[in-house]
Amino acid sequence: MSDITYLPGKEPHANEHRLIFKNVDRQGWDTSIDTYIKDGGYEMLKKGLGMEPKAIIDEVKTSGLRGRGGAGFPTGIKWGFIPPDNQKPVYLICNCDESEPGTFKDRYIVHQDPHQLIEGMILSAFAVGAHTAYIYIREEFPEAAITLEKAIAEARAKNLLGKNILSSGFDLEIYVHRGAAAYICGEETGLIESLEGKRPYPRIKPPYFPAAMGLYMAPTIVNNVESLCHVVHILRMGGDEYVKLGTPRNSGTRILCVSGDVKKPGYFEVQVGKVTFRELLYEMCGGPKDGREFKAVIPGGSSSKVLRCEESFKIGRGDEAKDITFWDLPLDFDTLAAAGSMAGSGGVIVMDDSRRMSWVLNNITHFYAHESCGQCTPCREGSTWMKKVSDRIEDGSATPEDVKTLEEIAYQIDGKTVCAFGEASAWPVEAMIDKFREELVGETSEKNDFKSAERLEQEKFLSTSF
Amino acid sequence: MSTRIVVPRPRVIDRSRLSYIRLRSASPLQVPRPRLIDRSQLIYLTLGKVPQARKINPAHVHYLRPEPSVLEKNILSPETPGTENFEPFAITPQLEQEADRRIAQYPDDQKRSAVLPLLHEVQHRFGFISPESIDWVAQKLDIAPIKVVEVVTFYPGFRQKAPGKLHFRVCRTLSCAMGGSYELMAKICELTGIDRGSADTHKDPISVSPCGKFSVEYAECLASCGTAPVCLVNDDFHEGVLPEKAQELIAQYNG
Repeated sequence: MSDITYLPGKEPHANEHRLIFKNVDRQGWDTSIDTYIKDGGYEMLKKGLGMEPKAIIDEVKTSGLRGRGGAGFPTGIKWGFIPPDNQKPVYLICNCDESEPGTFKDRYIVHQDPHQLIEGMILSAFAVGAHTAYIYIREEFPEAAITLEKAIAEARAKNLLGKNILSSGFDLEIYVHRGAAAYICGEETGLIESLEGKRPYPRIKPPYFPAAMGLYMAPTIVNNVESLCHVVHILRMGGDEYVKLGTPRNSGTRILCVSGDVKKPGYFEVQVGKVTFRELLYEMCGGPKDGREFKAVIPGGSSSKVLRCEESFKIGRGDEAKDITFWDLPLDFDTLAAAGSMAGSGGVIVMDDSRRMSWVLNNITHFYAHESCGQCTPCREGSTWMKKVSDRIEDGSATPEDVKTLEEIAYQIDGKTVCAFGEASAWPVEAMIDKFREELVGETSEKNDFKSAERLEQEKFLSTSF
Repeated sequence: MSTRIVVPRPRVIDRSRLSYIRLRSASPLQVPRPRLIDRSQLIYLTLGKVPQARKINPAHVHYLRPEPSVLEKNILSPETPGTENFEPFAITPQLEQEADRRIAQYPDDQKRSAVLPLLHEVQHRFGFISPESIDWVAQKLDIAPIKVVEVVTFYPGFRQKAPGKLHFRVCRTLSCAMGGSYELMAKICELTGIDRGSADTHKDPISVSPCGKFSVEYAECLASCGTAPVCLVNDDFHEGVLPEKAQELIAQYNG
């Protein structure tokens, strides 16, 4: 790694451990296949195609790789869910619908290192026995779609894709499928519906687990871009070696995307759980802006629960439970879950003391009201109600009762919908009220007698004589 | 001698039969007048000739007037000043060829999957999705036009009216909003003479300038939160566009 130089001003921090982002912002790097092969690319493909598919799955299982898209489900176990007696074609889908607010890791992989993703996809497709793979890329990445199509054409010209790849007898075609700016397509069953050419209404699980009944009702594996890229590195290092990175049950590296009120926002690839919030925000991101103090952090994309910077948490069970302050929390899947939030997709959004929480809440509720697909009533109606109530809090026409109403709505969405969007829209509201109740109530007034314009109009109409 | 206490049975009236009961007890003289007026026309008569008969809330008039249905409204593409920026929809050999290439990417019995790629192709060439193009896509994929319409109306990525020659999509989600994207939007609107005014961000998100050259729209998270605020101008991505850089950004395309 020592011979790699990065563009000035874009050098990785000393705490970083770059696997996936090795080539991002690298000096003299471009997206062509020759550059990638010169750097030792597609070597793992040759190794992988010589192995048994089962052996690759085992290697990924050993590595303990957990999905990097948000849910953190172990990738190897997901691959193992394909029914053994399956007769239908198997599909592999790369989920590149990176739309969780706060997350921007996949952008750099597909824009700057598309061949790494393609190599990871070929290996994964070989492991699960898929002969057709789709990259579902969001509409907002028009350049990346072109880059990927070009990369696929290059790979095909070198017989790394197509029929009988490198004389191994394995066939694979990868196609790029562009979405159309809908957040819900990041949900795997919604994505599948969208790929089938329908509205992306998520399917209910059970019975529609994609590994059994996915695309065209055939077994389908949906993985995040970052997870698929990790497969290349797992094969290179070996599962036993890879699992040593990071902490137990949270192996490997992951990319943290920091945005918001810090001096140096950006992306950092670190070993999972080896970096605490203090190190991330003060050392790697340069601390708060001048004259400001950190107030709150959303640790894993806007749908994760917000954490206050002065909080402390009880982590661990029984006698082993320890009090850990927010600043000493390591950013891994399990600790953040124990702290009542989640690691999600790695999008860390930081807010300093200049931010009013009602404003933040209003922005988040607007997002979810816009993106609810409308399939389930609690989410469709509830997200819009939450938006309307938070609008009232924001414009100062709310009563203290409204904060309670908002909380009630959130709890009535949580857990009552087909997909996880319900939780995604309710959790930030629940947490925001839980942790900043006083601030929110402070923005309301007993004197406000809420009557919306709509209601006033209605009354005016009713009071007129017929 | 035992006394038998008679408890009167409560009279239960089946309320659904009430009108029938009344009708029966009505005197035979009150025969309903025969209807001479076609009731479907009654509304128009009332509206036109007997203003005192009933007060009508103007907000409800759409129930009474034969207006295009919701579906028709959604299929129709309203004219905007930007319409002249684009060629009207036409089926060209290049379009057919590209469509066939896209359709071939999916299994033979799953042509419907190509609806998104085909609509992207149409939008890329003709600026927006017109009713004629919906018909063409439906025909190409052997599906009912409604199945194309439902897709077009769902996804914010498809627009049914012409944008300006330069279409700005400003990210409004949390990190960008903290970075100043609301101010950026205001600045762009000010510089290009766009009145977003009552733009309903959900149903009709695009506002076009009177000259037809520019249009703006809020986008939800463009996934570059670290370089906020960001925006897309047509297909070009721009990062770190602080409100004060709006002028520079527009000049870049105008020059």
